[in-house]
Amino acid sequence: MDIQNTQSQMRKGVLEFCILSIIRQGEVYPSDIVDKMKAANLHILEGTLYPLLTRLKNAGYLTYRWVESVSGPPRKYFIMTDIGLQFYDELEKTWNELAEAVKTLTQVPNK
Amino acid sequence: MKKVININFQGSVIPIEETAYDILKQYIQSLRNYFANEEGKEEIINDIEGRIAELFGETLKKGTTCIGDEEVNKIIDSMGRPADFDADSDFVQPNKTQEKTNYNANFNEHKKLYRDENQKVIGGVCSGIANYLNIDPLIARILFVVFFGFAFLLYLVLWIVIPSSATKVIGSQRKRFFRDTDDKIIGGVCSGISQYFGINVWIPRLLFLLPFLSFGFNFSHWNWWNLNHIWNITFSPGSLFVYIILWLVLPEAKTAAEKLEMKGEKVDLNSIKNTIQSDMEGFGKKAKNFGEQLSSKATIISKEAGEKAKKFSEEATNKAKKSNVGLGRILIVFIKAFVYFIIGIIVFALVVSLFSIGVAFTALLPFKNYLINNGWQNVFAWGTLLLFIWLPIIAIVVFIIRRLTKMKGHSSVVRYAFISLWILGLASFIGLIVTLSKEFKYRNNPVEETIVLSNPSIKKLEVKASSISKYYDNNWFELEHFAAINEDSVFVRNIIVRLTKSTNDSFHVTMVKLSNGSSKSQANNLVSKIDYHIQQNDTTLLLDKGIVITPLDKFRNQQIIVTIAVPIGKRILIKENSGWNWKTNAKINFGLYTTNGFSYGINNNSWEEWNNDGERAYHWNHNVEYIMTADGLKMTENNNLETLLESLDGKVDGEFNIDGNKIKINGEFNKNREKNKEQLKKEYDETQKKADELKKELEKQTIDSNKKVISKPIVQKSNTNSLKLENDFELENFIMMRFCI
Repeated sequence: MDIQNTQSQMRKGVLEFCILSIIRQGEVYPSDIVDKMKAANLHILEGTLYPLLTRLKNAGYLTYRWVESVSGPPRKYFIMTDIGLQFYDELEKTWNELAEAVKTLTQVPNK
Repeated sequence: MKKVININFQGSVIPIEETAYDILKQYIQSLRNYFANEEGKEEIINDIEGRIAELFGETLKKGTTCIGDEEVNKIIDSMGRPADFDADSDFVQPNKTQEKTNYNANFNEHKKLYRDENQKVIGGVCSGIANYLNIDPLIARILFVVFFGFAFLLYLVLWIVIPSSATKVIGSQRKRFFRDTDDKIIGGVCSGISQYFGINVWIPRLLFLLPFLSFGFNFSHWNWWNLNHIWNITFSPGSLFVYIILWLVLPEAKTAAEKLEMKGEKVDLNSIKNTIQSDMEGFGKKAKNFGEQLSSKATIISKEAGEKAKKFSEEATNKAKKSNVGLGRILIVFIKAFVYFIIGIIVFALVVSLFSIGVAFTALLPFKNYLINNGWQNVFAWGTLLLFIWLPIIAIVVFIIRRLTKMKGHSSVVRYAFISLWILGLASFIGLIVTLSKEFKYRNNPVEETIVLSNPSIKKLEVKASSISKYYDNNWFELEHFAAINEDSVFVRNIIVRLTKSTNDSFHVTMVKLSNGSSKSQANNLVSKIDYHIQQNDTTLLLDKGIVITPLDKFRNQQIIVTIAVPIGKRILIKENSGWNWKTNAKINFGLYTTNGFSYGINNNSWEEWNNDGERAYHWNHNVEYIMTADGLKMTENNNLETLLESLDGKVDGEFNIDGNKIKINGEFNKNREKNKEQLKKEYDETQKKADELKKELEKQTIDSNKKVISKPIVQKSNTNSLKLENDFELENFIMMRFCI
């Protein structure tokens, strides 16, 4: 059992949820997502983010609009759709349950 | 100093260093491979490219004049490489099977042959080929298994030669074979090898150089074509050949990325062992899978075939035309396969035959000193061998390899260099021919020497070759082992035997020595140096087997013409290995310069006469006994009476062999005689029967006497038209059966 492997497994599960939660707060540019996550000490590669966003978009949870940029080609800003919001609520519910469960379980040996 | 190019990237113009551009291109390609099977592949790539373009823009805004390797690598690091994606998140690649087909899609795009690491059973050769040819890997595997013996070797070769599909993924640690031109002496091949294997540059250099030291001395490598020598080639003069091919085939490591790839991961014994081990571990499992796959496929195919047959029969009744399309397609596939097969064989044969021509010419090298003068002629000879013969061979082999591996073509400079070198070779070939033919321009004054025979009136003369330790067994183009060459001389079997009719009843032997030369006096001089002996020993005539040629004198078509005059009614037998007849008498005639040479005829013994005095004189075979008749030579050994009788003409006096019986024929024959052959045969049979009876009787009568009994009947013929049988007992106890025809 590899400690790094287990850690990344744990991280991966919540990655999608974190990304969606950032987008839910408002229109966002992918590199901003990376920055925000980095600020929260959660690292993600842009190369991993783009395919993920594309798949969420294709699933109908996200949509985007083009915004002209001064420093290069037009940017894609992502917004959440109504289905995306429902999907997020489901995920949030699961997360809260999970967090509660983990909290309870990890606190037991401390007592 | 680096070259900067402008690229249009996602709509904006980016000045970028060439090496950086290569890195970027490879990165994008690796992303393409990685996302090949993703639904929104183009969109993802576009998004990433857009982001990279944006980052480039930002970098340029900060005041950087152009994008360098460093900037590109930094951006790629922040975007992440495909190898990092796997570690980062599995959800990008939902399942493994997708990844497997991912490479296939890519291969079909580029049509470059790779070993397929993802669908392999052993080395991925079959699946790679299958991908390349767009067929089911199963078919390729079945074909390989069917032709196992040959295919096994082929498989190994392909396993080594074809790059793994893993080399397609950037960031993978696979190495590629490049020429390292940064550290080159000739072409950078050795340094490339050293980079690849991570060894000191001098090791491959020494390996390539060592054989050259022996190149001049050891020709046994080139002896004849066998497998051992193919193995030997690696460490033989073939190293030159191998070097040149590697030079041409291996790409040069130009860009930084290529140079990195060249070094790659350290390939040592351990990593090779690990690779093989991991390959072997998976082999059992894969073989099992393969078996299952095979059986399931078989059932599916048979089911399909059944259905199709059913369908076919249904359709056939309705629409016969429709089914023809399918059949036609199958036929086309078969024809295609057949054509490719034939082309393959032709190409293979072409390469092999070219190679053996080269080897054959190289094998002639030891004889160079005996033919060619030093100086220009020598230069011409080397030029011919290397540039005229070997260069195109190498060029064609390289061309075929490059075609097969689909490598990029060389620049036109290389092609023109090839062509001009070959023209140089052609020129030296022509130079060689011209200078050589000058050497053969003049001929000596032929002088006929009479060989005194101690006993010229014998009944039969046998001609044998006296044994010399070293000689060429066949004619001088088919050379025996090189060991037969002495340090300072070579033996040429340029001895021609003529058989003519003697004017009296004794044998006469004469000898003429002939030679060409660059001048009349040189030719005469060369002739005077020919040391050739003819000896009579009872009934045998011993001829030397060859003419000795030294490197000093050179081969200038020195030859000996031995004329043996055979008296009528006497026999001659020429044993094998002595002299040439019309079959082996290869006349060397450089027609260009003969006008001067021919007209020098002295004492009526001109060359014209020797070469053209009725071909019949040369028309004899080795190991066949002949008898001289008034009409010329006749074979004494005949298998049946009919052909003998038909061949007889004019005055005949001699013994002939028919079915093991000796028959003495004496008389005149008219070729146009109208004689019933069947009757003659009947007569012969009857006579033989009677002869047998007589013989028995005779044996009874002469059993006590000391006199020998010749058991075979002797049939005598004459030209009278009546047939009668006489029983004459002559002194030697011959049974004379006199046929009077």
